[in-house]
Amino acid sequence: MQRYDYLKAIASDAGDALAVCTGWGAREWWSVRPSEGNLKTRTLGLVSSIAAGLAISLPRRKVLALDGDGAFLMNLCGLPTIAMQNPGNLIHLLFDNEVYEASGGTATASRHADAVTLAQGAGYKHARWATSPEEFRTAFTHAWQQNELTLIAVKVEPGQPPNLPPLRLDEIENKYRFMRYLESSERKEILNPGFDSKLRS
Amino acid sequence: MQEFDAKGSAAAIVAGLKKAGIDFVASLPDEKMLEVIRAVERDGELKHVPLCREEEGIGICAGAYLAGKKTAIIMQNAGFLNSCNALTTTSLQFQIPILMLIYYAGDLGDRGFTILGGVTEPVLQAMGFRSYVLRKHEEIDVIIRGAQILADDSKKPVAVLLTKSVLGVT
Repeated sequence: MQRYDYLKAIASDAGDALAVCTGWGAREWWSVRPSEGNLKTRTLGLVSSIAAGLAISLPRRKVLALDGDGAFLMNLCGLPTIAMQNPGNLIHLLFDNEVYEASGGTATASRHADAVTLAQGAGYKHARWATSPEEFRTAFTHAWQQNELTLIAVKVEPGQPPNLPPLRLDEIENKYRFMRYLESSERKEILNPGFDSKLRS
Repeated sequence: MQEFDAKGSAAAIVAGLKKAGIDFVASLPDEKMLEVIRAVERDGELKHVPLCREEEGIGICAGAYLAGKKTAIIMQNAGFLNSCNALTTTSLQFQIPILMLIYYAGDLGDRGFTILGGVTEPVLQAMGFRSYVLRKHEEIDVIIRGAQILADDSKKPVAVLLTKSVLGVT
């Protein structure tokens, strides 16, 4: 099973959740759940922290962090911070393929370090492994309904389907579309209206 | 000139943050900023996120900004150096503003951190971040508010370097 098989299993249950992605998983997630509420990060490790910042700031909105083992291990110190804030609307999904896939495929330390134990030790109240797409989907919908901070981790084979379309958007375009989508779906002004606002004041 | 102790200075800095519209603060302490962080923690209107490492705070503040918060991070200059990749590949890459309140360890006359102090402003400059050294109590409001406006309008991080004199500490 690859990450794509697991992403497909939850795509139809993800509703209007905001989804923060990292690495190759982004292209796969966009293909199974296309949405203006998807964001692809660039800093290795920060996917969970950026998702947490969103979740803390929008407590009634579901937020998904689509993490990888390389990113997860790089940002271990972010886990206690997230656990201390304990955003119940954050579902932290970890796809552990035991390699730095987007960086050429060398091994990460994740075959020696149990991600669920790490999350539990950091203070996550709920953290568990899933071993099949069905089990993953059940855990996901449970976390969604329970509305408590949860990490769901799966071991996956590296690789992705060969014919997925590339993401045709750059970071700033992604940011503005994401923010405009949040403005309309949350019914609030987020972006400074810009230079024109000075004419009014 | 009126002298302000650490608590009085902290109250003025937190009031300055609020006047600048800041409503979300991530922090990692330096001893010199203890009273500032305590004042942030006590303030009912500011969302405070204590950090384990400064770089994750750049991510948390980026997420908060996307959701409509006006964000600041309080850290030492060593923490600023810890954050440089996130500041580059998240803040600059996505054009996300953040007000950085940085304690200036190794500033003029400060023993023990002169290596760190010497690196700080050149790195800020190399990254293209505007920075302002805040030394005088009476400049707290104008510099914090001004830096927040610059960050918001340029959609980039802006640094305010806090010194012992403005923090009311020795």
